[in-house]
Amino acid sequence: MAFSDLLAKEIVVPAPGTPLQPGVGQIKPRAKSVIFLFMEGGPSQMDLYDPKPLLNKLAGQRLPESFGSVITAMGESKSPLLASKRAWKQHGQSGQWFSDWIPHIASCADDLAVIRSCKADGINHSAGVCQMNTGSILAGKPSLGSWINYGIGSANRNLPAFIVMQDNQSSVINGPRNWGAGFMPAGYQGVRLTGGSEPIPNLNTPEAVSADLQKSKLQLINSVNRDFAARYPDRSELGARLAGYEMAARMQAEAPGVVDLTGETEATRKLYGLDDKTTEGMGRLCLLSRRMVEQGVRFVQIYHGAGSKWDAHSKIESNHAGLCASMDKPVAGLLKDLKARGLLEDTLVVWGGEFGRTPMSEKGDGRDHNPTGFTMWMAGGGVQGGQTIGSTDDLGLRAVDTPLHVHDLHATILWLLGIDNMGLTYRYKGRPERPTQNEGEPYKKIVG
Amino acid sequence: MPLRLSILLGLGLTVLTVGTPTLRAADNAQAEQAVALLEARCFKCHSHSAGKNKGGLVMDSLAGLTTGGDGGAALLPGDPSKSLFLQNILSVDPDVMMPPKGERLTKDEVALLTGWVKDGAPWPQSRTKAPSADRYLPGTIGAKEKAWWAYQPVKRPDLPAGQARNPIDRFIDARLTQEGLTAAGEAERAILIRRASFDATGLPPSPEAVTGFVQDPDPQAYEKLIDRLLASPAYGQRMARAWLDLVRYADSDGFRIDDFRPTAWRYRDYVIKAYNENKPYDRFVQEQLAGDELFPGDPEALTALGYLRHWIYEYNNRDVRGQWENILNDITDTTGDVFLGAGMQCARCHDHKFDPLLQRDYYALRSFFNNTLPVEDRIAWTDPAAAEHARRLASWERKTQAIRVEIAALEKTYRETATQKAIEIFPDDVQAMILKPAAQRTPYEQQIAALAWRQVDYEYGRLDRSIKGADSVKHADLKRQLAEHDQLKPNEPPFVLAVRETGAQGLDAVIPKKNTVVPPAFLTVLSGQYPAEPAKITPTADGTSTGRRAALARWLTDKSNPFTARLAMNRLWQLSFRRGLTPYASDLGRLGEPPSHPELLDWLAAEFMSKGWDQKALHRLILTSAAYRRSSSHPAPQAGQLKDPQNTWLWRFQPQRLEAEQIRDALFAAGGDLQADKQNGPSVVYSEPTRSIFTRIMRNNRDPLADVFDAPQWFNSASSRDVTTTPIQSLLLLNSPFMLKRGEALAARLTKEAPGDDAAQVRRLYQVLFARLPTATEAAQAAKFLQEVRAQKPTAAVSAALANDFQPEKVPFRDGQGAHLESSHRKPFLASGATEVDLARGFTIEAVIVPRTVSDTGSVRVIAAQVGKGKADGYWQFGVTGQKSRRAPRVLVLQAFGPLLGDDFGEAVHFSGLRIEMNKPYYVAAAVRYADKNGPGEVTFSLKDLANDDEPLLHDRVITRLTGVRTATQTIQLGGKGTDAESSFHGVLDDLRFSAGPLNDQALLYANEDWRPDPLGFWRFENKSGTLSDSSGKGRDLAVGAVKAAPDAKGGATPLAALCHALLNSSEFLYVE
Repeated sequence: MAFSDLLAKEIVVPAPGTPLQPGVGQIKPRAKSVIFLFMEGGPSQMDLYDPKPLLNKLAGQRLPESFGSVITAMGESKSPLLASKRAWKQHGQSGQWFSDWIPHIASCADDLAVIRSCKADGINHSAGVCQMNTGSILAGKPSLGSWINYGIGSANRNLPAFIVMQDNQSSVINGPRNWGAGFMPAGYQGVRLTGGSEPIPNLNTPEAVSADLQKSKLQLINSVNRDFAARYPDRSELGARLAGYEMAARMQAEAPGVVDLTGETEATRKLYGLDDKTTEGMGRLCLLSRRMVEQGVRFVQIYHGAGSKWDAHSKIESNHAGLCASMDKPVAGLLKDLKARGLLEDTLVVWGGEFGRTPMSEKGDGRDHNPTGFTMWMAGGGVQGGQTIGSTDDLGLRAVDTPLHVHDLHATILWLLGIDNMGLTYRYKGRPERPTQNEGEPYKKIVG
Repeated sequence: MPLRLSILLGLGLTVLTVGTPTLRAADNAQAEQAVALLEARCFKCHSHSAGKNKGGLVMDSLAGLTTGGDGGAALLPGDPSKSLFLQNILSVDPDVMMPPKGERLTKDEVALLTGWVKDGAPWPQSRTKAPSADRYLPGTIGAKEKAWWAYQPVKRPDLPAGQARNPIDRFIDARLTQEGLTAAGEAERAILIRRASFDATGLPPSPEAVTGFVQDPDPQAYEKLIDRLLASPAYGQRMARAWLDLVRYADSDGFRIDDFRPTAWRYRDYVIKAYNENKPYDRFVQEQLAGDELFPGDPEALTALGYLRHWIYEYNNRDVRGQWENILNDITDTTGDVFLGAGMQCARCHDHKFDPLLQRDYYALRSFFNNTLPVEDRIAWTDPAAAEHARRLASWERKTQAIRVEIAALEKTYRETATQKAIEIFPDDVQAMILKPAAQRTPYEQQIAALAWRQVDYEYGRLDRSIKGADSVKHADLKRQLAEHDQLKPNEPPFVLAVRETGAQGLDAVIPKKNTVVPPAFLTVLSGQYPAEPAKITPTADGTSTGRRAALARWLTDKSNPFTARLAMNRLWQLSFRRGLTPYASDLGRLGEPPSHPELLDWLAAEFMSKGWDQKALHRLILTSAAYRRSSSHPAPQAGQLKDPQNTWLWRFQPQRLEAEQIRDALFAAGGDLQADKQNGPSVVYSEPTRSIFTRIMRNNRDPLADVFDAPQWFNSASSRDVTTTPIQSLLLLNSPFMLKRGEALAARLTKEAPGDDAAQVRRLYQVLFARLPTATEAAQAAKFLQEVRAQKPTAAVSAALANDFQPEKVPFRDGQGAHLESSHRKPFLASGATEVDLARGFTIEAVIVPRTVSDTGSVRVIAAQVGKGKADGYWQFGVTGQKSRRAPRVLVLQAFGPLLGDDFGEAVHFSGLRIEMNKPYYVAAAVRYADKNGPGEVTFSLKDLANDDEPLLHDRVITRLTGVRTATQTIQLGGKGTDAESSFHGVLDDLRFSAGPLNDQALLYANEDWRPDPLGFWRFENKSGTLSDSSGKGRDLAVGAVKAAPDAKGGATPLAALCHALLNSSEFLYVE
């Protein structure tokens, strides 16, 4: 690749003695990296992880008054309850419940901590996706990945610390601000890896620029910037500008290798479903995320069903069946592969959407948004597998036992990474800001 | 005893807690145990020692418990059943039970607490010490808190002794002397003019201005320069940027549908004008908070109310109460930041933890805004303009009455259905408010109903879609008839984003959960009372408004207000030195830092007010100070570096990186293509080379350049800019097509200004970018670079795209780049034609488009076409109709001239009902199935709004008599038709695909990007795969206009352009020294 030879080769890891951010260093880190599998649009908990016999019994009736009233996005609070058509089975030694839509994930039952009592505040996608990323339903706060990047940095400076991928071209709700740095400096934001030959924006030398020309330009840029930095030796940011080009060069050298899957064995490719049209897309992203984690990328986020594809306001049967089919095997493949390589121990895998769905029907065969009780799961990174955490009421409407709000979930993720959610602060406008907005507590029992 | 206690409670809790300490303090084992239990189980979240007061509650004193938190008093001595904390301990509701996690309290523990409360909750003697000495306790604000510098009235300090003529320097010099530091000398003139130009106007100086200034013998040359800069219209454009950051101005809604706000720009222009005309700052503040109440009839003051409207808005949020709450909080938070320099939002849920700001103060501030109703129907104009408009409108109305009546009649049932559907989606209580007669609504109900009604209005805007069948045809026809009278219609009046109020009757804010009603009041810390006495309010004379905002504005602009002048002066200082005298420009509290030069800040504030709040006068004073004029280089910097590495005492100037907008403007200015003549008016997209202040701020779709250079998010008030350096930034500067183009533009300028002379071009280059000539070494380095690059093999990939001014532009919400086409470009992309066989069954043309404009006439702007050589061949074209289209404006259309059913040869025009809005990204398609002996064919149009995932893929099917085309082998033209200016597509084109036969839904590009149904051509404009190459594998690479797509070493990236591009990457270009 064009010009990396020109520049010093050196992997930069945070130097020993680098001062730690507040809130880091007191908690034992269990995970080094996070892979967040974001099912965008809101998967239905009562059709995947949280069986509700009462729902099928009361199907067609209105929500009993004892359940109180709810505001829903499409005003479906009074619509008849919709039965789940799924077949349910217990899996693994732990005997956790999974529906027949996700047989492969079910085969990992003993690695999963299934949280049935998640809670969020946004009733619409925009607020929901924003909160699941930033903790707040209102925009402007840094995303979780940015906080982690700020808190513990990257283990590999040749790749972005925070990488985002999505399974199709549609825009994720709210667009790139979901992985934005909010009020923090732009350097902490996530970088979206796109498909095709240029995974990072502007990574490639443009077609009109030859390798020689690029080299000449870089030499000149380096030279004039070195001269300028020498005029102001105590302005460290000028030195950082020089380093910025060096890092860009290393990124240019390294990123294509990370996204090149040709070196993977046939068995691995099969494990992720790369041999099947249905699973190929998500399989590729899952495999890529393993490769990134191997390279020390701190936070990888995959949007599955980007553009609210999980949002089954109608025809939930065909909608979820298709999405599950494309996601189930690759996700299980990722877990199995990480485990086989010994990576699952310090890689936390998180699965979930911005909210779940209502027991009430919409348009006869769909379900409305439900942030008051839904399921997510975590695996690896110190998480004790084979446990079911919390519960919803008998219809799956509200979290009842051990409710974990998004702030608690974030606090838990941070805690597993060795970050104290109340200790980590960033000073903005003079005010100490925290990743979970001064709320949330880690659910420490998740490690068993 | 119990009786006496309840009387005391009736008098107020303060009396109880302060007045009877001996009564309450007890030395008793039960009390000791009870409070120890609280400490063990509750203090973690509810105590000063833990620094937490969740739910607003602290439990480490009796006062804390009886005052209570969000839920009201937590403890009523003697009455366990009315002691909320105990009830919550007993509760099994997961939302309220305490502690929320961990073991429940045992029966014995509960019994202990119950007994303790029953006995009057005596507080143990051992714990009567105040929980934390440096904190104010409920019920008072201590003298220490009140003594904080920012709450003291501004007092003009005496000038320190000294030689300096500029008073500012007296303060700065005195401090330097005190610190034993020697200041650097004055910077060179070339550096000064570049620094001052960027700081005062946001733009670089022209080489001529630099030379003129450097050579000016006048000793007052610098002062004259500053006067010139402050008088330039660019001044307001620079100053407005900082203000717009503060008030979180944007042109879009910022939620899932990031809807454009077409009239927001009038507020932006108001701010620019205010700075340029040097509007007194007190008036500037008054107009933005209460322009309608204080200056009725003044269009500018009405426009200024945009300040109250820049909050984000979610078009489909059914939780209307919740959204309204968020909006009012947003206005309150922003006002706290901008006008009080106080972190009011920290006091929204509880008293501020560091500053003496009460939760009550937060809601008292909110009460000033609590009566507003956001409206878009207010018009910023004068009476004569209104009268003229009314006259013209009346004439149009007379002429069109019959048509409009007919339209209304046709729409009636559709409108009723839409209304009903939109309303029934809301929660019952909101529906009730909407359905209530307007006159019966309370002020709050008016607000909620109005906010909800926006969602009904949204459905009205889409009524076209619900009208089907014959009605649809008739409707379109009537609309067209109506449009025929458009020339009679007056121009749209200057609507502004503004507010009205619900009436003269005030509606006070209520603290959630506590249900405390809080009338408008100013900060308690500034008041002699606790809490502060309600503000004196006079409703406006016409009875339409409470006058609350006017009261707030008057208070803020009273010379005794401690915040307003200090904040303004500190921000002005920050603009010049990048660091304010106090570093957090929107927080003068304890979380900020005390000012480095408190006397200077006060002197500036006092001077500012005594000069009638004259911003330019004070700005001039700052820019002409010796402190501002210092060199960044110090001859002996060691002492300063050691004692004051942060340069707090200003012993030299600090080199500063330009802000994102300055970088963008400087890039366009360097290439000579900055359209500096745009001085106002509607916002434009960021690819237009106007000054950045005029580009649209779409919150969810940012300019990548602004993004990497730390532009704020514009969701909340931002008081300063970060400076970060990242590899992503370097990649953008180094490799992006945008930057390569800037290098080429700059090279073209140099070639024009210094033709044929390398050395002269390099000299000019340095003057343009750095306001100086190159040193001998630098000149030699540049010459060597040019020589080196010339010796390199010409880049094979330099394509016709670059030679032909190909303008890459990213399509919002899509990856990669598309092709930007200017209006009237006359240079469509050309690809070789297909075969007769290819198009024998019909064809499909697809594209992603972002239209900028359509034709003002009826002309069709062409997306794709094939035109025959002679009339006998006919043609086909797919595009968007013009404003005066004979059928419908701005719709997708497929026109053809060819063989028709019945052995005819003639025109077949297919108008779709699919309407296009400007500046939105769309996927568009037309699939043509020919007519044949079995009957007519069909043209299937498809349209998908790519900016809004809620929008489905829309189709419209139109019958056709076309039996084929005779132009299959002709050149395929994309983005225009020949050299016809009127047909030239204006906007961005991307991912065009031409396929044989009519594609079904599943095969469309939109439905399935991965699956390629073997197209005849697929043009994606990707940099890597070849901007103009055909990615279908059919080899139909594009040419531009008449130029071949062959490599052209002469065009595009010349050695000079490469040099220019490299130096645009330089730190010296991106920094002021």
